Amino acid sequence: MANDIYFLAEYAEGSPSRSAIELATGAADLATQSGGAAVALAYGGGADEAAGLGAYGAQRAIVLGDEERPAITFAASAIAAVRDGQPLAVLGPATPNGRDLAAALVGSLDLPGFGPVRSIAIVDGHVRSEQATLQGSMITTSEPADGATGPAILLVLPSTFSPEERGATAELVEPARVEDGPFASVKVVERHPAEARVANLEEATVIVAGGRGVGGEAGFELLQQLADALGGTVGASRAAADAGWVPYQLQIGQTGKVVKPALYIGCGISGAIQHRVGMQTAENVVAINKDPDAPIGEFADLFVVGDLFAIVPKLIEQIRSRKGS
Amino acid sequence: MKIVVCMKQVPATTSEKRYGADFRLERSASESIINPLDEYAIEQALRLADDGKVDSVAYLSMGPEQAVEALRRALAMGGDEAYLVTDEALAGADEWATARVLAAALDKLAPDVSLMGMASDDARGSLVPGAVAAMRGLPLLSYGSELRLEDGVARIRRLSSAGFEIWESPLPAVVSVTDQVGEPRYASLKGIMAAKRKPLETWALGDLGLAAADLRGAALTRVTAAEPPEAKPPTERIEGIPPDEAAGKMADWLQARRLI
Amino acid sequence: MTYLLSAEHQELRAMVRELAEERVAPRAAEIDAKAEFPWDLKELLAKQDLLGICFPEEHGGTNLDGIGQALVAEELARVDATTSLIPLVQKLGALPILLAGNDEQKGRYFPRLASGEWLIAFGLTEAAAGSDVAANRMRARRDGDEYVLNGSKRFITHGSVANLVSVFALTDPEAGGRKGMSAFIVETESPGFAAPRVEHKMGIRGSPTAELTFDDVRVPVANLLGAEGDGFKIAMASLDASRVGIAAQAVGIAQGAIDVALRHAGQREQFGQHVTDFEGIQFMLADMAAQTEAARQLTYAAAARIGSADTAYWSSCAKLIAGDTAMRVTTDAVQVMGGYGYISEYPAERMMRDAKITQLYEGTQQIQRLVIARQLLQRAGIAERSA
Repeated sequence: MANDIYFLAEYAEGSPSRSAIELATGAADLATQSGGAAVALAYGGGADEAAGLGAYGAQRAIVLGDEERPAITFAASAIAAVRDGQPLAVLGPATPNGRDLAAALVGSLDLPGFGPVRSIAIVDGHVRSEQATLQGSMITTSEPADGATGPAILLVLPSTFSPEERGATAELVEPARVEDGPFASVKVVERHPAEARVANLEEATVIVAGGRGVGGEAGFELLQQLADALGGTVGASRAAADAGWVPYQLQIGQTGKVVKPALYIGCGISGAIQHRVGMQTAENVVAINKDPDAPIGEFADLFVVGDLFAIVPKLIEQIRSRKGS
Repeated sequence: MKIVVCMKQVPATTSEKRYGADFRLERSASESIINPLDEYAIEQALRLADDGKVDSVAYLSMGPEQAVEALRRALAMGGDEAYLVTDEALAGADEWATARVLAAALDKLAPDVSLMGMASDDARGSLVPGAVAAMRGLPLLSYGSELRLEDGVARIRRLSSAGFEIWESPLPAVVSVTDQVGEPRYASLKGIMAAKRKPLETWALGDLGLAAADLRGAALTRVTAAEPPEAKPPTERIEGIPPDEAAGKMADWLQARRLI
Repeated sequence: MTYLLSAEHQELRAMVRELAEERVAPRAAEIDAKAEFPWDLKELLAKQDLLGICFPEEHGGTNLDGIGQALVAEELARVDATTSLIPLVQKLGALPILLAGNDEQKGRYFPRLASGEWLIAFGLTEAAAGSDVAANRMRARRDGDEYVLNGSKRFITHGSVANLVSVFALTDPEAGGRKGMSAFIVETESPGFAAPRVEHKMGIRGSPTAELTFDDVRVPVANLLGAEGDGFKIAMASLDASRVGIAAQAVGIAQGAIDVALRHAGQREQFGQHVTDFEGIQFMLADMAAQTEAARQLTYAAAARIGSADTAYWSSCAKLIAGDTAMRVTTDAVQVMGGYGYISEYPAERMMRDAKITQLYEGTQQIQRLVIARQLLQRAGIAERSA
C-alpha cells in the first residue's frame, strides 16, 4: 500500500535480530506519520514466527522464507513483495546482509537508495533522511529526486531507533515462494563456526576496543574484564586483528562493520581513519593512549593520556565499587 | 578467465594516512587517489592473475576525465587495460545511476567476474555491487575476505560473528571484497613505466547504448542540504596525573553520563 | 633551461612517498638506535625496482633520468637518511662501470645490481687519502692474467654488506695517484678480502661505513675498468655524476625536519598559545622553508644537467648549498621543538645528526668550493697558479 513502511527483519536460529526489532518500532512510528502500516519482510531461520514482531510495532509480517541461507537468496521474494506492495519506503539494517538485499531492490526495481541514515522523517508525503558523510564532517539531507518513482530504500544505522514494546501481534502473510532469479544460485558450501561465539559488535551498546598499544592477547584479557564490568563487548582495530591477538570478527573499521554503541572506549588505538569510520557515530567516545598526539584525541569526547595497563585495572575497580553502591 | 575491477577515484583528503605519532605527512587536498577500498579488489584480482587463475585483468571506472590518473595507477600495480566512462550527463550521479552505467559497461566487457571493493570512500555503505548484480541478472558474492576461482565457480570466504563460511556461485558473477584480502601491493617503478603503454579507452554514455534520459537526471536521490554537524563540545583531556586519580575522574565522567 | 616534473615523475614521487611513509618511516628510529643495516628495506626497494634506477633497461634497470633519481633520493631521505643511501650508493659504486666498463663487464654484473640482488660499493677513500685522492697508496700488481691487490680502504659506505666493490689502486706507483691509478671491480667473496671493522658514527648509523682490507686479493684482468692509469679520471667523473644525489638527500633531510618541527610546534601550547603563533618561530620556519626550497630548485636544476658539459659546476653548487641547508635547517628544527627536539622520542635530533654527513662525504664542502672556483676561473679565462 502506498503509505506503508516495509522493513527487513532478519531472523537467525529462531530469533529476530536486534535490527529487526529496532526497525519494527522505527517503521511503526514512521507508518503513523505516513498513515500506513509497518510491514516486516521476514527471512531466515525462525521467520515463520514473525507475527511476534507485532510486539514491537509491526502490523503485518510477510514471510519471505524461513530457512537458514544467505540473505541475498531471499532477494527474489523481497523484490516481488515490494513490487506488489509498492510501500512508501523499505528500511533495512546497515549490515552486510541488509545492504545486499537493499541493493538488490534498488537495482532490480530502479529505486532511490539512501544510506546509512541516522534519521528519517516523512515530509510532504515523501521520505527525507540524514546521513553523515566524509568521515562525519558533513551531514547531508536527502530525498528521492523528481525522476524517482517507487519506494525509497533506506539503510539504517544501529541504535537509530529504540525498540518499544507495543504489545500486539502482527498479521502473518505467507506469499507464494519466489525461488528463481540469479541470486538464488548463491549457496553456502562450507560452514566453519568460531570456537567461541563472538558477540555481534553491531548490536553492542558498550564496546571496549583495543589496538596496537594493547600489545598482545594478554592485554585483551584485561580489556575483556573492563567490558564485563560495563556490560559490554570487546572490539579491535585492524592492527590488533592482523597481529592475531583477536579474531577478525572483532575488527571495527572497513570490513563493513559499523558500530554505534552508547559507549566506546578505545585503548591503545591511534584513531586512524580506517578505524574511525567504523566507530565515530558512537554516542560517547573515550580513549586511553600513551601518545598525547594520537588522532583519536581529536574526536574523542574524553581523552586520557596515560598507560592503559595502569589505568584500566583502576578503572575496573572504580566501576565495580560504584556499581555496588 | 577475465576479471574487470570496478574502481573509483576519490580526493586524497578522504583517506588520511598516518604512520607514527611523531611524524605525520598529510597529502595535499588536490591529490586524487584510488578509493582505498578498491585497492583491495585490485590486489585480489592481481593475485589471481599471479597464480595463473585469470588471463586478463581490466579496470573500469566512471568519473570525470581526470579519473584516468587513478586508472593509470591501477595499471601501474598490474593488469592489462582500463576503461573510463565519462560524460557530462553523469555529473552528480548517485549510487543507482553509477550502478546503471557500470552494469552497461560490464555487459559490454562481459567478464567472468566483476570485482569491486565493498564500499566507496568513507564506508558509507555501498549499494553499487548488489545493484549492479541485480541489473545484470548475475549472482552476488559480497563482503568476501578472499576470492577463489576453481572448479568453474566463484567462492568467497565470508566472516560473521559466528565464524566464517564459504559461499559459492556459478560464473559469471559480481563479487565484492573487504580489506581482509590483504595489503595491496605498491606499484613498482617498472609498473609505473609500463602503465603508460597499456591501453586505456574512454567511453561516453552513447558507447554503452545509454542516453541521458535513461539515467533520469543521473540520480534517483538528491541532496537537499549539507551542513557541518552540530559543534561537539571540545575533547576533555585527562593527563599528567597518576593512574588512580585518572581512573577516578574517568569513573566520575561515566557516572555523570549514566553509563555506569 | 628550466625543468618541469612530468606526469611520470609525479607518479614516481607519489609511489616513493607512499612507500617511504608507510614502510620506511616506522623503521627509521629503530635503524638508528640499533645501527643495523635495514636488509628488509633493501629488499623492499629492490622489489619496487628502485635499486635499478641508474642501470640500462637492457640489463633490467629502469634508467631513470637525473630528476627521477633525485626524486627517489629526496623522498626516501625525508623519512630516513640511511635508507635513502641504499639507491645512492648502488649508483656511486656502479658509476665506474657505467662510465668506463665494457659491454662484457656490464653484461656480467649489471643484471644482479639492477635487480638489487647484489649491492656494490665505491672503494676509493683511504686512511691517508680523503680529500687528497691522489695520495692513495693501495697497490695492484699485474701477475699473468690477474692483478694482485694489496692495501686497505677506509670509510667505505656499504663496504661490509656489498657483493662488489669498485676499487681504486695504483698499478704504477711511480707515476703517482693522478696518472698511475687504475679502477677494478672486486667481488667481495674473493679470498684475501675482508671488512674487519665498521665505524661508530654520529649519524646515518644504519649505514655500515667499513674498513676494507685486501691481502693478495686476485682480480682477473677482465675486471680492469678502462685502461691502466684511467683510475683518477674515472673516480672524479663518478663523483661528479653522483653528487647531485647527495644534494637531493640533503634536501630530503631538511624537508623531513621542517615537517616534524611544524607539526610539533603547531600542536604544542605554551603561554596560552600554540608555539607556531609566535612570530619568532614563524620567522624561523619561514627561513627553513625558503632555504630548503632554494636548495631543492638548485638540486633539480643540477639533476636536469647531469651528463652535460656543466655537470661538475652544477652538481658542486647543489651539494654545497643543499648540505649546508640541511645542517642549518635540522639544527633550527631542533630549536623550534625545544627540549622535545633534543630527545630521541622525536626524529628531529636524528635528522640533525644525519644531516652532518652531507657536508662531508662525496667531497667535503671545501672541496666543492674548489671545484666551483676552478670552473669560475676557467670560464673567465683566468689561469690558476698552483700554490
